[in-house]
Amino acid sequence: MDHQHTHSSNPRELQMARSMCWHCQSEVSGEYFCDRCVKVQPVSKETDYFTCFGFPRRLTIDPGKLEAKFYELSRAFHPDFYQNKSETEQSISFGNAATLNSAYRTLRDPIQRVEYLLDLEAGSVKEIRNSPPADLFEEILELQDTLDEYRASDRASDAGQQLRTTLQAEQQTLEERKRDMETQLQQLFTDWDLLQDRGEATSQARSERDRLLKQMRETLSNRTYVKSIINDLVATIG
Amino acid sequence: MAYSDKVVDHFNNPRNMGSFKKDEEGVGTGMVGAPECGDVMKLQIKVQNDMIVDAKFKTFGCGSAIASSSLATEWLKGKTIEEAQKIKNTDIVQELNLPPVKIHCSVLAEDAIKAALADYQKKADGTTSAAK
Repeated sequence: MDHQHTHSSNPRELQMARSMCWHCQSEVSGEYFCDRCVKVQPVSKETDYFTCFGFPRRLTIDPGKLEAKFYELSRAFHPDFYQNKSETEQSISFGNAATLNSAYRTLRDPIQRVEYLLDLEAGSVKEIRNSPPADLFEEILELQDTLDEYRASDRASDAGQQLRTTLQAEQQTLEERKRDMETQLQQLFTDWDLLQDRGEATSQARSERDRLLKQMRETLSNRTYVKSIINDLVATIG
Repeated sequence: MAYSDKVVDHFNNPRNMGSFKKDEEGVGTGMVGAPECGDVMKLQIKVQNDMIVDAKFKTFGCGSAIASSSLATEWLKGKTIEEAQKIKNTDIVQELNLPPVKIHCSVLAEDAIKAALADYQKKADGTTSAAK
């Protein structure tokens, strides 16, 4: 199963699956334009966002390269160039532009990027079930009690002020933890890319792959919990 | 999106909010979270002679999550362990009239019930085997 995840360095080879040009019926090998009749070809639904940009499935992406590729392809599908073309070509280029927009939005953001990769690599997110972080949950629920207490308190009173100070300190600690998790994710990105670059098909590589995916899922989940309590804190104490 | 009257009622007057001591005899604790939205739910049951005599919850999340867990504790009280196992998230959806985007809240509540029951069972098994 790992074969499909290994990528050759030549992007021309790994783009959309081979199919027939809708216009001249010649074989197109995954480019956006038919070699023979130069008609625009639709992005297949099975094409993942990395492939859309001709990128291998890696988590570290150079934002400049991504942006440049996005602009290049956006120009290629720009409606202005299709005004005098057939309706089919207009609708294909429109569809391609929409797909590229989603692809760009997803890959641009590191969190969305890794969420997307997890979906691709591990099927539905729910397939990776981690044991819930009980300590973190307890902490969140306790903090919520303090928040309720603060909401019910007279904010100008000493007690109210004190609660506010406590909550502010909590917020800082949590934000620090969120940053730590993001650093940890960065490291996982690097580990993932290195593993992919090695392209080994050993059982050791497979278990390393599963371990990394699991850890990414776990860190992402914990980050979401921490983020949502921070949001609540910010909304309450401003 | 508007919340149904029942959701609003549970949200404004949550039933059985609070917690038991985890190590108290006959108490089962279920702690679950939804990693997609960051909601956290803690649901506890107190069991005497196979009957759930009390239930409590604490939820960090949206109105539907709070309402789902509040309703769950209401339903749990007075049920046997076996009856409690049969509570389904769809029952909660129906009772609270949850819209499709909030179905995951009811799933979380069902998970919490299951986790609390499992925790109780585990503790009960531990006590009996220790007594042997």
